[in-house]
Amino acid sequence: MHPDTIRKYIGLGLFLICLLCPAFAIGMESEDCLDCHTDTDTVGDDFFVEMAPFNNSAHADVGCVSCHETVSEDHPNDGNVPSRADCLDCHDDVGEEYAHTAHAENASCNDCHNPHMVRGATAVSGHAMNQMCSDCHDGDEVAESHAEWLPQASLHIAMLPCISCHTASEDLVTSLFIIKKKDAEDGSLELASHEELKALAGDGNVQALVDTNEDDYISLAELRMFNRNPANKTVQLQGMMMPEEVSHSIETLDNRWDCSFCHASGPEAMQTSYLSLAQPDGSFKRVPAERGAVLDALFGTPDFYMVGATRSKTMNYIGLAIISGGLVLPVGHGSLRFLTRKNRRKSED
Amino acid sequence: MSEKLRIYLQPTPVRIWHWLNAFGIITLCVTGVQIRFPEHIVIFDSYRSAILLHNTAGLVVAVSFSLWFFYYGIVARSMAKLYVPTVKDLQTGIVRQMKFYFLTYFLGWKNPHHATPKDKFNPMQKSAYLAIMFVLVPLVSLTGITLTNVAFLRDFVVMVGGLKILMNIHFILASSLCAFLFTHIYLATLGQTFFAYFKPMLTGWEEVEDDHHHEHSAP
Repeated sequence: MHPDTIRKYIGLGLFLICLLCPAFAIGMESEDCLDCHTDTDTVGDDFFVEMAPFNNSAHADVGCVSCHETVSEDHPNDGNVPSRADCLDCHDDVGEEYAHTAHAENASCNDCHNPHMVRGATAVSGHAMNQMCSDCHDGDEVAESHAEWLPQASLHIAMLPCISCHTASEDLVTSLFIIKKKDAEDGSLELASHEELKALAGDGNVQALVDTNEDDYISLAELRMFNRNPANKTVQLQGMMMPEEVSHSIETLDNRWDCSFCHASGPEAMQTSYLSLAQPDGSFKRVPAERGAVLDALFGTPDFYMVGATRSKTMNYIGLAIISGGLVLPVGHGSLRFLTRKNRRKSED
Repeated sequence: MSEKLRIYLQPTPVRIWHWLNAFGIITLCVTGVQIRFPEHIVIFDSYRSAILLHNTAGLVVAVSFSLWFFYYGIVARSMAKLYVPTVKDLQTGIVRQMKFYFLTYFLGWKNPHHATPKDKFNPMQKSAYLAIMFVLVPLVSLTGITLTNVAFLRDFVVMVGGLKILMNIHFILASSLCAFLFTHIYLATLGQTFFAYFKPMLTGWEEVEDDHHHEHSAP
């Protein structure tokens, strides 16, 4: 073999080793890190990382070393404090958007998002989203300030993620969560956990509770079947309007003061909905539902109704028929009355 | 030759109740239409004002209903007598009254029912008002009150079968009440003169010709 060719092979081999090693090291590193950092006795509360939420977080894939770059093999004996990445290194577009808001002066990324637990927006429940807000915003104050102008303020606060109104996200969809029927004492709604759903599903898959044929698609018939099934009497579907894409431009947009931003969209805009199913790791899986699920007259989503937006066409026609019925007498009788007016004049004479 | 006779038919509490009810229900119908079809029908400036006005009018109707119940049930004690049809009413009265409205009225005959303070309503009115005042209005008010307190009354909402069922009951009952309104106002014009039946509801006094055949009942 020509020495040049040998050199080429050696070069390629070295290149591949260089390429694979860090990945291997990162994989090993994350496990090594978690060996100690999931134990409060070893690292204390400040450096504690919860194992399951981290492994299921969006950051688990990139590994510890990606953000804590300067950690050495000798950590913690080397005496160095490993570096922490700036969130903006990766999320610069989000940062740019957020920097222009009043929130930026009061809360850093970490104040709302624990980097060891973060998940994509669709994998988080609306209740969990609001938890982030309520860490700073006192619930009573929020209720009070909204009640000053917003009809049904407590209902809005309980049934919506704050970010549906307080960010620039325009696209809202309806997510249907399965909740336990008995409300918690403080009036907040309790989402059914995966374990509770598992108990309900018995041997079957949790998703099959609603998605009977397990085709990753919830039809209207399946929704009705779920709602009417007496075995499901301890749970029910709870609809929430959630932004389809989360924006970090946290502000109250002018159009949100106008109730008709949400309440006037009419049947067309309320077509898209998803079932959000609790997963074993505490996240939620979205399963698309048939168009118009939340508009179905009665049994698609019996406990979801938004005035002005989720009205059903069938009901409109029934109402119109009833009101028209009330006009039958004035119009019919009135016409005959006009035609026979001479008879009454005669009898008066 | 007949002379005018004045009968005190509608006492003040009844007149107050009636007009509170009338303005309340009309406001409810108008705001209700905007609340249901906000992108098509904009009568009030903002959706919020339509909602607030609807809630307030609903409260007025519920309070006026209590006034009506208190007056007829406790003060005048004439509720059962006025509103519950007698056996005779059901056997012959309704048919007789229907025959008048749908046949003999056109021939120029007189109303067979003669209104007195103790027997204000004809058999058709009794049946209609019984259904309206004891079923329709209480149910539409109760569903409305529940819909304005969903978070607080969640258990009741769930018991009924969900918000959508409650909402649709409210909508259907409200449509029925609106339908009744048209019929009610039309029948009110069937007196001796076009406005003859409106007057007693404003002044309390009905003027009738004293020949026993010309007394009518307000609708």
